[in-house]
Amino acid sequence: MLEINNQFTHLKSKVYATVLKCFFNGTLEEDIDKIPFWIIPKDTDPSRCCIYKERAMVRYRILAFLGINIEKDDDEMKPLSDYYREVISKQMKPLPVLTTISTACSACPQDQYLISDACRGCYARPCLANCPKDAIEFINGKASIIQEKCIRCGKCQEVCPFNSVLHRLVPCEGSCPVDAIKKNEKGFVEIDYKKCISCGKCSRSCPFGAIVERSSIFPVLQILQSKERTTAIIAPAIDGQFPGTLGQIKTAIKMVGFDDVVEVSEGAELTSINEAKELEHRIKRGDKLMSTSCCPSYVEIIEKHLPKLNAIKSDTLSPMAYTAQLVKERDPNTKIVFIGPCLAKRVEAVKLKTVDGVITFSELASMFIAKDIDVKEVQEADLGDTHSFEDCRDFAISEGVKGCVIKRMEDPSIVKPYNIDGIDKKVFKMLKVIDKIPSKGNFVEVMVCDGGCINGPGTIVKPKIAMKLRNGNTQAITKAMKKERLY
Amino acid sequence: MDKKVKIKICVGTSCFVQGGSDLLLYNDFIDPEIIEKCDIEGISCFNACKGHENGSAPFVMINDKIYGDMTPEKLNKIVIEVYHARNK
Ligand code: FES
Repeated sequence: MLEINNQFTHLKSKVYATVLKCFFNGTLEEDIDKIPFWIIPKDTDPSRCCIYKERAMVRYRILAFLGINIEKDDDEMKPLSDYYREVISKQMKPLPVLTTISTACSACPQDQYLISDACRGCYARPCLANCPKDAIEFINGKASIIQEKCIRCGKCQEVCPFNSVLHRLVPCEGSCPVDAIKKNEKGFVEIDYKKCISCGKCSRSCPFGAIVERSSIFPVLQILQSKERTTAIIAPAIDGQFPGTLGQIKTAIKMVGFDDVVEVSEGAELTSINEAKELEHRIKRGDKLMSTSCCPSYVEIIEKHLPKLNAIKSDTLSPMAYTAQLVKERDPNTKIVFIGPCLAKRVEAVKLKTVDGVITFSELASMFIAKDIDVKEVQEADLGDTHSFEDCRDFAISEGVKGCVIKRMEDPSIVKPYNIDGIDKKVFKMLKVIDKIPSKGNFVEVMVCDGGCINGPGTIVKPKIAMKLRNGNTQAITKAMKKERLY
Repeated sequence: MDKKVKIKICVGTSCFVQGGSDLLLYNDFIDPEIIEKCDIEGISCFNACKGHENGSAPFVMINDKIYGDMTPEKLNKIVIEVYHARNK
């Protein structure tokens, strides 16, 4: 996966903030077609072939931000203002979450193992001896791979003493745990939505920005503009994403226009309590394994690929689902918007029906920028009595969920926990047989993103920084930096 | 006596979300000996992000001079330069 800070994410945040600024000023309809020119002015030094292509890419970013399914609805003749009018006048389908921009796709050739000049044509020839498919031949004393025979197992690369075997990758395909990325006849990227689990790994891997998320921020902006009460429910991973305390983040969110802000950690407490009960019950009745159920991409994996795992997945609801219930009980007329690091939560929200909108931390950040809200400068809001669910803020971090669940069991001694921290192709293969390998334990926490939600596709900062900013270190960030060198 | 290099890293929202957060890991990319010679602090938005004169966010102020488009590598380089220029 690409580093979180790269040219592409910077462009994205610039586009988001500019669009939102116009929206809040009430000038978006008239200005939207000018934004590509503002962002890529005449004298820009282009990274792509020319400024015209760069502007076209900005246009696509705007379309994605508007929530347009670019793959299906891209009409180059249509002005952005027309798209915008459509977006605010009719309900858009919230799914699929991801879409592709074929003009951005570089049509990378299939992944291949190649032998480079470093090959010395040695006498031992371990590549030849270790290739299970006889795909190595020697031409003029140097090794070469017969591509038709190669199964891309990588053995030759492992054994070459000169490190001369090169693996040319296709980043999007390589990052997709479930092989949902395909190439069409022209070689451009396509997503197989029957397989896609909305984890967003492909969009974070493509160095050309050819896979993008369709934002669902506009329906949320419309809710905010209506007179209806709106409650933001904020994922536990939010702590550490902004240079301020949770209390300050809460204030900043209210300044954007939300009437109330509730921590999803509150619902996570219910998840922990109920999952603890369920686990005890299941172990007692003889179940060999139970898995957590809070990661929506994992739930998608089960639904789309491994339905047999429904038997081991806990039936307990996710923190988002419980939080929405709590909020609706207290305030039946409020709309609910989930703010989190996750794209797959949108899929869950569509199923649940209690959550009216889902946006990411980076979208929230763009709102702050557009409204000139400096999180570090705002007053701290009262978080209320967080005592009972404080530990559940750890749901955002790998191993946090299982810790909270086990803590709430009557007899923790009966549980043997382990965790799956991130799912890639290899781990996905292992998942297929997970119910057959009970020896590892009887309770497994599953997170599709490595490190947990703090490494989700909607995050702003690196997990390492988020971890340092969490744990209350956010307080007095300036002083802390200076005195204790916390960073 | 060595003069300390004053480094102010902007942690305003614009800077922070556009790569400024990475700069907070300065212990990972600036030589500890140089860090000893620096006064590093996080500051609030000082409005550099609203204009165009100094490039784009993230911004850092080094001895009161504003630098834009800051990256860890660039910061390290400038700090070393400034430090050596001062203590020649
Ligand atoms: S946020 Fe850094 S200068 Fe404005």
